[in-house]
Amino acid sequence: MVEEEKRKKKEDVGPRFLVSSSPHVHDRVRINKIMMLVVIALAPAALLSIYLFGLPAFKVIVISIASAVFFEWASRRLMKRSNTIGDYSAVVTGLLLALNLPSTAPWWLVVVGNLFAIVIAKQIYGGLGYNPFNPALVGRVVLLISFPVQMTAHWVMPSRWGTNAVTTATPLGKAKESLLSLGHIDVHLTRTDVVNLLIGNRAGCIGEVSVVLLLAGGLFLIYKRVISWHIPVAFIGTVWVMTDIFHMIDPTRYADPSFHVITGGLFLGAFFMATDYVTSPITHKGMIIFGVGCGVLTVIIRLFGAYPEGVSFAILLMNALTPLIDRATNPVVFGSRKKKAAG
Amino acid sequence: MKEILRLTLILTAIAAISAGVLAFVSSKTENPIKQALRAEKMVAVSNVLPSFDNEPDKDTLSVVTEDGERELFYIGKKNGKVVGAAFEVIAPDGYSGPIDIMVGVDTAGVVTGVEILKYLETPGLGAKVATKEFRGQFKGKSIKNPDDWHVMKDGGIFRQITGATISSRAVTKAIARGLEFFDKHRAVVIGEGKIGSSGKGG
Amino acid sequence: MGAWKEFSKGLWSENPIFRIVLGMCPTLAVTTSASNGIGMGLATTFVLVASNVVISAVRHLIPKKIRIPAFIVTIATFVTIVDLAMNGYFHALHKSLGLFIPLIVVNCIILGRAEAFASKNSVVLSFFDGLGMGLGFTLSLGILGSIRELFGNGSIFGVVIFGKSYLPLLLMILPPGAFIVLGILLGLMNQFELKMAARQGRLPIIKREHNCATCVLHKNWFVSSGD
Repeated sequence: MVEEEKRKKKEDVGPRFLVSSSPHVHDRVRINKIMMLVVIALAPAALLSIYLFGLPAFKVIVISIASAVFFEWASRRLMKRSNTIGDYSAVVTGLLLALNLPSTAPWWLVVVGNLFAIVIAKQIYGGLGYNPFNPALVGRVVLLISFPVQMTAHWVMPSRWGTNAVTTATPLGKAKESLLSLGHIDVHLTRTDVVNLLIGNRAGCIGEVSVVLLLAGGLFLIYKRVISWHIPVAFIGTVWVMTDIFHMIDPTRYADPSFHVITGGLFLGAFFMATDYVTSPITHKGMIIFGVGCGVLTVIIRLFGAYPEGVSFAILLMNALTPLIDRATNPVVFGSRKKKAAG
Repeated sequence: MKEILRLTLILTAIAAISAGVLAFVSSKTENPIKQALRAEKMVAVSNVLPSFDNEPDKDTLSVVTEDGERELFYIGKKNGKVVGAAFEVIAPDGYSGPIDIMVGVDTAGVVTGVEILKYLETPGLGAKVATKEFRGQFKGKSIKNPDDWHVMKDGGIFRQITGATISSRAVTKAIARGLEFFDKHRAVVIGEGKIGSSGKGG
Repeated sequence: MGAWKEFSKGLWSENPIFRIVLGMCPTLAVTTSASNGIGMGLATTFVLVASNVVISAVRHLIPKKIRIPAFIVTIATFVTIVDLAMNGYFHALHKSLGLFIPLIVVNCIILGRAEAFASKNSVVLSFFDGLGMGLGFTLSLGILGSIRELFGNGSIFGVVIFGKSYLPLLLMILPPGAFIVLGILLGLMNQFELKMAARQGRLPIIKREHNCATCVLHKNWFVSSGD
């Protein structure tokens, strides 16, 4: 009997001394608060898009958030796990995915995207914190590969409420097409073009068009210490430097860096998706490596790949490398000496 | 040393046996493979030609192009009379690589059918060049108005595939090029056939 | 009796794809449609049965030191036979499977069965072992191919199921679709197996709540992070 009790006691004590992975020190800041801040930071860009693209964009955003929350609730219930819709992470995923879609996306496209984002990319792995890839980006890439026509062929110019939508290509799409069919690019940015690109008067995904408001949202998150500056700066900086080098080599084939930085989904990706805690490195050094990697891959895909835009693919590929980056940049445990690299 | 010799001999014996087996199987399957390859080509040729009763893959004629390449024409005949010709064109500027196309024309140079033989285009986008909706558009058209031979986006008469203008453009251009070439050598291709002394090309 | 045991293990308990997770190259690459999957499976079954029988028959004649090259030559011979025969008699299937027919040579299942089973057992048992493994492989590839074709093309064995208004989820017939479907099937099979085991009292009921303290990887983590 004594033996039995001893054993029991040992078992009781056991789990308390188990070391779990970081974070070890907790603050009052909860996930739902951080997620709300992200939503607030994205709100201006989202609202402007609703103004620019009208009712269709509003519909996409509402359907996306609603279906993301529904899939989160349903899959947790089906797997008999605790309900997690209160942490608002599904709201952020739904909103981010909506911002990554064209305003012309039909409702079923939005629902399928969220099914993959929430169920396949997140809950199957165990839910928030266990997902190796950014759920919203997985949803977007699944749609991009599966439904290329709906995802890339029906861009419209911002038309405000009511006026008829004019179909056109995205700036990056135009650059790619002219390069493939004519052998050179014909994008010449005038000052009004740059202004239009900055304020969002151009074709593109719902959330990527207004660089100024995305930048403001990003700075807000940095100010609130939700994200740090390392990934966005490294990411955007790398895109700038690399496209500048290529532009200097052959300006007829490669557009100038300002074009590459303010078109496409670079700002949306760099501030709001590459900085996802779960799927990006922990240390600042790791974040810089991560950001540079994203930048290099984005430029390679944009200039030499089959797709005109590469931000999503770049971030997903770097997500896959995050565990390795974390391993390589892990700080040395206090008190232990750094091992000398062999040979 | 002795053991190495023994192992070598055993392995050699195994290899020799399998070589013998393979030689036997190869000789048995040689003809079926040839026939299968021929049937494959014939399906494409007969899909694009007007009805014929000869063997177009044996009734071929090759014409030397400007850059020294040989273009092979499969001649279709009915009751000994030439009814049309089929030939392959390659669109080098597809979105993800070259697109191989089989074009069939009647004696006047009017398209009687188009088949896409090989392509690497994106599924769901450029791959739609192989659909009937797209390639069917060329049937009944000829190169009389070269300006028509563009996709609608470029002011022509052929509807491009949504989201895959580059692939549509490449196919349209390649077919137009092929028709022009046929037009230029029409007399030779048709005329030779009329006399019935078609050159054994290829 | 023994033959039935050797035959049936390949279908479920030692299914080469869903249990042992071998032969992933053809599994992931050619299952873009149900008929491709079945065609690949049957070609592999033929090679598996034939090589098992031959290797088992000559197992006492082959010295241990050269058994691997001897096995490979035998396997390669049968693969070439399949390649030639398919090219002649099933040309369309041969064309769509392409390079993956010759690659049957390097399918781990075949060399694995030769080394682990046929070189140690009688001809009859080896025959049934190869047949069971091959059919288990074929069945798995067929299931994988059917699911991918259904969602990626709206059809099974070329028969339209979802109708014209269905927009195919192209991802499913592209490489990522293979990984996703295989992963989900593996997960469902494990879930099923655990439930069956719990019902029969072979295993304790698994705790539903999953966290770091209950994680099975936990022990391994301690070992591996020691370096």
